[in-house]
Amino acid sequence: MMELLTAEQLDKFTVQVAGLEHPRELIIDLLRSVQDNHGWVPDEGVALVAKILGLTPLEVEEVATFYDKIFRQPVGRYPIHICDSICCWSRGGDALATHLREHLGIDFGETTADGLFTLLPSCCLGACGRAPAIMVGQNTYGPLTTDDADRIVDALRQEAQG
Amino acid sequence: MPTLTIDNLSVTIPDGSTIFEAAAQLGIVVPHFCYHHALGAVGACRMCAVTVVEGKMPGLKMSCMTPAEEGMVVETDTAQAMEFREHVGEWLMTNHPHDCPVCDEGGECQLQEMTISSGHGVRNYRGNKRTYQNQDLGPFIAQEMNRCIQCYRCARTYQDYCGGRDFGPMGSRQRVFFGRFTDGMLESDFSGNIVDVCPTGVLTDKTFRFKTRLWDLQQAPSICPHCSLGCATVPGGRYREIQRVVSGVNVQTNGHFICDRGRFGSSYVNHPKRPRQARVDGTNVPVAQALNRLRDKIAGVIAEHGPGAVAFVGSGRASLEANWLLKQWARSLKCPAPVFELHPRRGRAIRQAVGPLSSHLASLRQVRKSDLVLVIGADPLNEAPMLALALRQAVREGGRIVVLDPRPVDLPCVFEHHPLTQEQILCLLAGRCETGLLNNLLSELMTARRPVLVGGSDLLGGVGLQLLGHLTESCDNDDRYCLIHPLLPRVNSFGGGLLEDAPQEDLLERLENGRIKALVCLESDPGSEHPEAGRMQLALSRLDYLAVFDCLPTHATRRADLLLPTATTVEGDGVYINNEGRMQAFSAALQPGIPIAAVTAGQHPPREFMPETPGSQPQPAWQMLQDLLGERHSVTALRRAMEQSEPRLEGMSRLQPGDEGIKVAPQDPEPVEESTVEIWSQDGDLRLLPVQSCYGSEVASSLSQTVTPRLVTPRLMVHPQEAQQRHLQEGEDVTLKTAHGLFRLRLFCDERMATRRAIVPCLPGTPLEIFVPGGLSLPCDIEGGAS
Amino acid sequence: MKQTEQLLFKNRRPGETAFLKEYEGSGGYLGLKKAVREMTPKEVCELVKASGLRGRGGAGFPTGVKWSFFPAENPGPKYLVCNCDEMEPGTYKDGELLKADPHQLVEGMIIAAYAMQIDTGYIFIRYAYKEQFAYLERAIVEATEAGYLGKDILGSGFGFELHVHGSAGRYILGEETALLNGLEGKRPNPRSKPPFPAVRGLFGRPTTVNNVETLANIQHIVNGGAVWFKDLALTVEGAGTKLYGLSGHLEQTACFELPVGISLRELIDDYGGGVWQGRAFKSCLPGGASTPFLTADNLDVALDYQTLEAVGSRFGTAGVTVFDDRTCMVAVTLNLIRFFARESCGWCTPCRDGLPLVVWLLEKIERGQGTDDDLQMLKAQHRNICGNSFCALAEGAMGPVDGLLSNFEQEVVDHIQKGRCPFTA
Repeated sequence: MMELLTAEQLDKFTVQVAGLEHPRELIIDLLRSVQDNHGWVPDEGVALVAKILGLTPLEVEEVATFYDKIFRQPVGRYPIHICDSICCWSRGGDALATHLREHLGIDFGETTADGLFTLLPSCCLGACGRAPAIMVGQNTYGPLTTDDADRIVDALRQEAQG
Repeated sequence: MPTLTIDNLSVTIPDGSTIFEAAAQLGIVVPHFCYHHALGAVGACRMCAVTVVEGKMPGLKMSCMTPAEEGMVVETDTAQAMEFREHVGEWLMTNHPHDCPVCDEGGECQLQEMTISSGHGVRNYRGNKRTYQNQDLGPFIAQEMNRCIQCYRCARTYQDYCGGRDFGPMGSRQRVFFGRFTDGMLESDFSGNIVDVCPTGVLTDKTFRFKTRLWDLQQAPSICPHCSLGCATVPGGRYREIQRVVSGVNVQTNGHFICDRGRFGSSYVNHPKRPRQARVDGTNVPVAQALNRLRDKIAGVIAEHGPGAVAFVGSGRASLEANWLLKQWARSLKCPAPVFELHPRRGRAIRQAVGPLSSHLASLRQVRKSDLVLVIGADPLNEAPMLALALRQAVREGGRIVVLDPRPVDLPCVFEHHPLTQEQILCLLAGRCETGLLNNLLSELMTARRPVLVGGSDLLGGVGLQLLGHLTESCDNDDRYCLIHPLLPRVNSFGGGLLEDAPQEDLLERLENGRIKALVCLESDPGSEHPEAGRMQLALSRLDYLAVFDCLPTHATRRADLLLPTATTVEGDGVYINNEGRMQAFSAALQPGIPIAAVTAGQHPPREFMPETPGSQPQPAWQMLQDLLGERHSVTALRRAMEQSEPRLEGMSRLQPGDEGIKVAPQDPEPVEESTVEIWSQDGDLRLLPVQSCYGSEVASSLSQTVTPRLVTPRLMVHPQEAQQRHLQEGEDVTLKTAHGLFRLRLFCDERMATRRAIVPCLPGTPLEIFVPGGLSLPCDIEGGAS
Repeated sequence: MKQTEQLLFKNRRPGETAFLKEYEGSGGYLGLKKAVREMTPKEVCELVKASGLRGRGGAGFPTGVKWSFFPAENPGPKYLVCNCDEMEPGTYKDGELLKADPHQLVEGMIIAAYAMQIDTGYIFIRYAYKEQFAYLERAIVEATEAGYLGKDILGSGFGFELHVHGSAGRYILGEETALLNGLEGKRPNPRSKPPFPAVRGLFGRPTTVNNVETLANIQHIVNGGAVWFKDLALTVEGAGTKLYGLSGHLEQTACFELPVGISLRELIDDYGGGVWQGRAFKSCLPGGASTPFLTADNLDVALDYQTLEAVGSRFGTAGVTVFDDRTCMVAVTLNLIRFFARESCGWCTPCRDGLPLVVWLLEKIERGQGTDDDLQMLKAQHRNICGNSFCALAEGAMGPVDGLLSNFEQEVVDHIQKGRCPFTA
């Protein structure tokens, strides 16, 4: 969880960079790899990506801060993206969000005290036919009742303990 | 060349121009933010909308992004365009704080001007405003992000134009933030330009904060005195204190930007030890009395020892007018003509630039437009930073840069570097050694369409520049010249060289053999400018009489029997000739005087009342010299007289401060033959090359407190190979052994530099001040540990 | 309810994904074989042009025409980029297609690359499509092993390599030039046009950007011919089938492959199972969040480009989001504008600062604190943002405002006059 890049990843990316005319195109791949390993991208992660690509940390930060699925602040082990776009909204997305906030005892942008869950509002998840939907990590769930949402949260809690 | 109609006026403009540019040519200023002459158009702010009434694509268009077409009819004031621009004003203001009364930009705020001109006056938005946490961008730039309107000009200037890589846009939507990855001083040597381009008070000059409201600022167009490029600046001050410098605009030289040395390196004007009073034999006297005394004293020396016993030294720091009058004075006394450059080798280089090379001199603009620049024996970022920026623009336009220099040259662009030693470069130019590289470069030069050779006079000397001259001539063809851009020691070195009639004998020898009894120095300091600084200081101490005109505290002003305080560049009028032979006028922004803050310990108004301004004695040197000669002409009359006496100065009397300047006429092709005293090969394992450092090597920035954060510490630099051979570690303190003595210095290694060379920065005010740039490398040795 | 011939969803089975074996079994890669063996690149272009296929990503530009601008004869690298950013609310068809049958996109891209003589392709896929990303990677490996991708495809001498690039979220990446910046690893602000991507695209080289569904149609056109493809549509101008993604207040919200030109009523009643909970239809977004609302008056409109433009809306992505009669259209518009304001890249003023101002106005009106002046201001915002932003994002954002003002202005007035949202108790 804490490692930024594994030795194999580092080797793989270093080889890839050497073979590319525009190494910069790997910036998102690298940031996502760091995030997959570490949960989010700390300053050291930005600096590491910059070093691999021959960029300055600022040049990486310019890109990293643009995307909303690159986390430059700590998030819980399970970031929960709640779709608030029109299709989910029209089928109870707001109520689902309110419920999850109450159930987890946190507001948007906050992380539960056990470090497991962070609630994030998200634009359309591409699950409009399954509204209302949420995405945990990169797994999308929907349509959800509040009970369904509770069950997902509980299952993840168990997974974390087990 | 399409012809179009804008607001019922017809205008013809070059192909590829936009409606915005066409309107500007008609004097119609379309409101705008993101457009900037030097940065071009990006269509981000949408403020410059106009209505195309007739054209291929009629309707509301962004004038900065829309090409002007033949027969197009454009109106800038249709109801549609005006309503849209008003909305742009409204949108931009939704988050802009209403803090104009306390904003540092107040008085020159483009946002204010453009919001008014957009017609937006009433705020309907009552919601929250977005706020940011500011960063500490170091001692030069203050950031107040809440005021940002996201025109992206700063990032485009810092990154695209200047090549900086530590400042840029982060985040997105309404939360775009312009800053660094972490707090800290901006790394670029051109960072201050983001202050000039910011249309509002986000990025302001921290060194100028809270000093003066802009409507109270005294400003005047000037010329940057720090190097020979002669960039246009606009210094500003108040309360007798220089408070800031912003870039002037001269498309032939600096364009729209200046370097941080020029911007932040001007507080020497406020230096507490600046000569402020005329002094005769240790006693302060009025200027007129000192001038009378000087006249009498010189007359006395001539009467006793003959005119050959008086020597005059002009300088590349002094204005053309002052140097010329010094020459007139010497002539009227039948004394030998003045020396204008105390460093003989530098003097020979200047002579080449002024003479044989003068038909081939390239402006910075031509460097920017070049497709191939060979930089030979020059380190632009340290010697003439704006040249580095010009090279970047050449690269951005597809040009190629090749650098031959022993130093670990850095440039804000891609370039090819050959770390040859000074001697190797001279050999190469002379065709005496390995010619493969030269031949390759020559064939590239032949086929280049706009080639420019940059030659650093400090490394190349007169012989090197002469060889460079031969090279350019051999690469000329029927369509174009191969141009040359020589870097000279000082802002007016060219002017001094131009006034020189014949090469002078080395002043040091004349002093040492006792022929000279009295020496008159005009804004020059023999003890720090002559390559044999120690010998020179000794020789000066044996002089009967030393008279000094200067605005800076120097060895000479401290030692002077008679001292006349002169005005700095920002306090007087005058003309400098830059390295490409361009005469440019500067004018006074301030009257000389001790800053009020210094006189009253910060209290205002002053508690003591005096009949005259404290410290107001300094005058432009040329005025004092006119008094000595018994004449008082206006500056224009003086310049006319100079044109009469020096035909190459034709046009000088028409110069206006802030204009593009006029190039001096090329010299008749009469080659100045150099003695080949240069040494083509050097013995010994390791030789020392004293070089200029961007901040602190030339005297003005060395006396400017403001640039202290950028100063380099005294240091010794070698190729890692040299350190390895001597079992030395980077970062350890070593002893540098030279004929000038032993120096304890921190060792730095850089694999980009030449081997067999040790490099030290010349830094007045430190133990390294004994080293003067512009000479050949010196024998030296390095030992580890304490010695 | 007529049975529509299934091209794109031919291999769609609930919970399953067709890979190479099944794809080939259903006629997959026959189009590629035919194209590289029997047709010149130019003939493929002409065929696609003749088929009347229009870009399925929302803008609806004729695909063959776009291809014909491409400098196929230029030496040096050229790129084909598939836009699978699919982040417009109400749009999920490409995700469904790739979940069912990823080889279709791979084959379509190879033929498209052959038509434009392109050597390298990228599939730019959104963060949330993790499964689709994996399916595509597998499909590319399979296709490479089968000789459909690589240096000398099916012995034709034509070579093409294909990569998948996963994004990290942001709607603006769906704008083709922003997408190219994103692919290059730069800040994904849109670029100014001209130069168009066909001239200076990815890494400064000629590039074509097409949507997933557009590319997936290519082999079907090659197999079936232009006339057959055009005739699949129910309108004279239309061509082909279309993936309709249903969402909102319907009994069934799913994605269907149906002819271009099907009526809105048929789509809602026969495929969406009618408006949910027995309520009445009030409005819908016919083609994603940026398309102006339709009303009950428009229920019989044929869903196609011209027909929808004629009623003041757009076909867009054919993601149809339906609203029942208890829906507040101010609230719907507010939700949509919030989305656009949040997804602005921050480059140009109307979008970055104008959209949040519209959000503020709509919030005020929805809260019941709006005034007549606010309504006038809303209209002025709409009038001035439309057509004047750097890229199409802010323009698209004004779609719902346009729909609100032209079809539901009285509802806005009701909010103002009642001092509250009439749809809340």
